[in-house]
Amino acid sequence: MTDPYKVLNIAPTASDDEVKHAYRELARKYHPDNYHDNPLADLAQEKMKEINEAYEQIQKQRKAGAAYTASSSAQSYSYGDAAYSNASANPVMQRVRMAINNGDISMAERLLNETQEHDAEWNFLMGVVCSRRGWMDDAKRCLETACRMDPGNVEYRQALQMLQNTASYRPAGYHRGGTMTYDDTCMRLCAGLACYSTTGCPIFCCI
Amino acid sequence: MFGYVRPAAQHLDEAERQRFRSAYCGLCHTLGRRYGFFARWLLNFDFTLLAVLLSLGTPTTSRCQRCVAHPCRGCDAMNASPALDAAADRSVVLAWWQLQDHIADHGVWKSIPYRLAALLYRGAYRKARALVPDFDAAVQRHLRELDERERARCASLDAAAEPFAALLSEIASAEPDETRRRIFAQLFYHLGRWIYLIDAADDFKADAKSGNYNPLRCRYEIEGDTLPDEVKSALGETLDASIRQMAGAYALLNAGEWTAVLDSIFYDSLYGIGKAVLSGVYRKQKRRIRRTKEEPI
Repeated sequence: MTDPYKVLNIAPTASDDEVKHAYRELARKYHPDNYHDNPLADLAQEKMKEINEAYEQIQKQRKAGAAYTASSSAQSYSYGDAAYSNASANPVMQRVRMAINNGDISMAERLLNETQEHDAEWNFLMGVVCSRRGWMDDAKRCLETACRMDPGNVEYRQALQMLQNTASYRPAGYHRGGTMTYDDTCMRLCAGLACYSTTGCPIFCCI
Repeated sequence: MFGYVRPAAQHLDEAERQRFRSAYCGLCHTLGRRYGFFARWLLNFDFTLLAVLLSLGTPTTSRCQRCVAHPCRGCDAMNASPALDAAADRSVVLAWWQLQDHIADHGVWKSIPYRLAALLYRGAYRKARALVPDFDAAVQRHLRELDERERARCASLDAAAEPFAALLSEIASAEPDETRRRIFAQLFYHLGRWIYLIDAADDFKADAKSGNYNPLRCRYEIEGDTLPDEVKSALGETLDASIRQMAGAYALLNAGEWTAVLDSIFYDSLYGIGKAVLSGVYRKQKRRIRRTKEEPI
């Protein structure tokens, strides 16, 4: 079994608080919210399992002697893509939902492209397919259309909310905003060596 | 199209900046060694990042090496490694096909500089093609697809960005480990998508003047030569989505000694570069850095 301290990236001499802090930081990093509709969700889930096991093991070791009760301080998270199992009146859309749930995105896309009528459900499912492929702008466009066509539908609204969820992990000390809210007054990029100017002529830097 | 991705200096100490510089110099030396002096001009930051990512997991070493730009003092450059070789081979192939694209896009007279450059790089390209034939075929396929979509004035940002994103994603196939290949494929796809969209925003004014295709104009139906504020914020959102996907993939890699450099890229500078491009200060900033040598790495 791998060293639990190595998994949490701390020294075996770390205090209880440090262990907890390291665990929480990693749990934040691999949180399912960061991997929604992400093809790497299964790998994040594996990481989270490793971290949970390491944390439990350290707790167990530290409480050895005292009666140990399996503490549930390590949280369990649910990963994986949302299930699109709502029944559909349209048999083709039902097949699309099944294809999405089986992870067969190209099949779902083919079925959608063959459909003539683009109703709210079609837009919703197309949005889900786009989101799985990383086509975020098209996904947003389709889900917005679905919500506009059927404003009362909870499933469509939730999918749009999930897409607009901007949760993401950043280590302490990094800003939390996005591109448009970035404070660029303090931004300094590492410039190049500028060994070659744009015309391609070498610049002699150290003569 | 290349050269946007650089670490944000404010999160790095001198040793970390030096580390990134050594990768940059290492790639330059690798290009020179494998493909001759002129291939060094193909060096760019984005391929430096790719080389760093591909090298994760194998310890890297560096030593002081001299070059034309640093003939006396020399500079610390990463030693030859399979990751640097992979990045060098692929940047030669990609540069060659981008050159061919320019030749096709320009008239007889205007294409003369590109034709001369093609003459200069013919030998390098032939050598690279023999080393990475699959990548060469993939680049041709994806660039053809990109050309078709641009000619059809594609109004979807994602469909327009797909060929370039898929092209960068092909670089992941250099990785032998299955899990890491999956992670790289996802990371490089969104890096490609981000670069394509940033480039479209950066070129918006120039494209408006020349009448060239620009995906942002078609997607948001913009008249005039400036990006309206609501388009900027919509574009910012979709760029953020790609950065989050990259950061999610990066978190699954063990970055080891490169943690500080890569953290500063995926958690900070990509946002900052996006902001600089969208607010129109990016090119100016680049010039200012070059002129005053504010933050030489």
